[in-house]
Amino acid sequence: MDKMNIPIGPQHPLLKEPLRLNIEISGERVLGGILRLGYVHRGIEKLAQTRNYNQNVSLTERVCGICSHVHTTTFCRAVEALLGLELPERVHYIRALMCEMERIHSHLLWLGILAKHIGLEMVFMHTWHDRESILDVMEELSGGRVAHAVNQIGGVRFDLDEDHGPMVDSTVKKLKVDYEELLDVIEHDTTLKARTQGIAPLSAEDMKKYCVVGPVARASGVDVDMRRDDPMPPYDKLDFQVITHPDGDAWSRTYVRLQEIRQSLHLCKQIIDDIPEGPISVRAPRKVPAGEVVMRSEAPRGELFYYLRSDGSEYPARLKIRTPTLPALGILPEQLSEIHIADIPVVLAGIDLCIACADR
Amino acid sequence: MAESLFYLLIFPGISFQLVCGWFFEWFDRKLQARFQRRVGPRWFQPLADLLKLFSKEDLLPSGANEFAAAALPLVSLGAVLTAGVYVPIAGFSPASFEGDLIVIVFLLSVPTLAYYLAGIISAGIYSVLGGGRSLLQFFSYEVPLLVALSGPAVMAGSWSIREISSIQAEMGPFILFQPIGFILAVVGLIGKLKRSPLDIPKAKSEVVAGSLTEFGGVKLAIWNTVMNIQAVVGIFLLVNLYSSWSGIVAPVLAVPVFFLESVLMIFVLSAASAVFARLRIDQLAGLGWKVLVPLALLQLLVVILMGV
Repeated sequence: MDKMNIPIGPQHPLLKEPLRLNIEISGERVLGGILRLGYVHRGIEKLAQTRNYNQNVSLTERVCGICSHVHTTTFCRAVEALLGLELPERVHYIRALMCEMERIHSHLLWLGILAKHIGLEMVFMHTWHDRESILDVMEELSGGRVAHAVNQIGGVRFDLDEDHGPMVDSTVKKLKVDYEELLDVIEHDTTLKARTQGIAPLSAEDMKKYCVVGPVARASGVDVDMRRDDPMPPYDKLDFQVITHPDGDAWSRTYVRLQEIRQSLHLCKQIIDDIPEGPISVRAPRKVPAGEVVMRSEAPRGELFYYLRSDGSEYPARLKIRTPTLPALGILPEQLSEIHIADIPVVLAGIDLCIACADR
Repeated sequence: MAESLFYLLIFPGISFQLVCGWFFEWFDRKLQARFQRRVGPRWFQPLADLLKLFSKEDLLPSGANEFAAAALPLVSLGAVLTAGVYVPIAGFSPASFEGDLIVIVFLLSVPTLAYYLAGIISAGIYSVLGGGRSLLQFFSYEVPLLVALSGPAVMAGSWSIREISSIQAEMGPFILFQPIGFILAVVGLIGKLKRSPLDIPKAKSEVVAGSLTEFGGVKLAIWNTVMNIQAVVGIFLLVNLYSSWSGIVAPVLAVPVFFLESVLMIFVLSAASAVFARLRIDQLAGLGWKVLVPLALLQLLVVILMGV
């Protein structure tokens, strides 16, 4: 059969964010793909140099529409490290609580999209229904569903009152029940397994070669997790497991993310139980002393990397953001060969691309 | 003459098929919505969608064959409406003849072939892919479907749907003797209607909308009507062949029972699309030739041995 090129994107029912893939096919076989990025490049790193540190908290919140909180957390921690601020314990717990809830809603969102791509609309609707309950809690705590505006330099902007603890508690309990049903579907549904198992598997060596991080790497058996390897304060006191799976195919990525939801629910419970009393912020000066710092945290999609250099003024001299999606895009051309056209959505969804993050 | 016109235009012809098509579509969408914890559309939504499509601008890409693009949906509509006239409704069949089962199966295949051609002539990459897939799918489900449908015919000793339907009053509903054949026929019907989980030719995340990607306006409205009426005829056909109670229950109940069974069939189709993920085309071909065809032949063998 003749070779054909099919364009996927920038606008396509498969994509939630603009990205262009030019895929070469022969019949139903995919021979290879060429990737083009940059449709949502907003110049955030350059923009950050023209804003002062407080304004940059709002700016970094807008790098991503899903994992907005972990961006501001990482940025604030970088600035606080340069300032040498000692934060109250309660701040760390509130930040970690939001991080974990963000991970849960991000993973649920992702699972829904995968299910929709392979024609399981019912799973899509049910996971997004569960996700709503987490978003409701986040809105109740912070006032925002997407941009939570939790962080400020030197602390957080809201405190948990006595109603919030039981609310998180009951939501976690409810989600644990829904979660078991989802796990049952993922582990036992024959058609879902037929569509995801053995699709474009990548080995741990491939993952290391492309510096892939997060659940995608863990699903290939690479044991990395910034929460354990370079922990920010409350995580060193909390109990959780790093989930890995040896297979590296789309199904094992699904499995790893689902198990991580369970770990995050477990973490939320611990945080609510252990959270110490105390103030929620300390005063931070406007000017940041000269120096440079690297800060890493575990975003829902993997290691988030912030490099910040200060020249002693109110404005950062350089802010470099490397998001977990960026290395994951590198494995995309490798995966898009010797598969069927019908596997393209599974491969794309399996990586959990966040183009807004990657383009910045 | 007046009688024939009534049969053609009102019942069981065009008007009745259209209304049934809208009702079945609404019921299916409502069920799907309830499975997904949504509210679902109101009763007039299918009609409103159709009217909206009629008011839309009708565009085709340059390079598409305008005449074929207009003719193909009309030919398909004619084929499925003709098929609809020959399917008995609760035992009522004004135009039955020996061999109409074969004619109906043939007429129901016309939209699939037209769908393939629509993909080829509409000058779009996704359309070509969708058209090719629809033909591949056709070869996977059609053989088991035909073999399965010949089961009731062999059992009744007739190729007239009315004969097959009425003989069940004496022998009992055929679904009791041919459960495998019934399941195969349902799978074949899902493939024929391109419904999830066998919506491979029009899988949104893979080939956008398949053959119909470039269609819009009135032409798309006609295509949607074709799919609706194809579903109506297919469901009525299976009810007649496998579970005809019209001679068993009291005559007053024949019509309600017939429609209740049809609605149950929609429920089965909806549930199937809710719980199964879409198969890949190679998986469907494997399923068709390695599982469905042997099962269908086995069922046919059992039917023949029962008759001996």
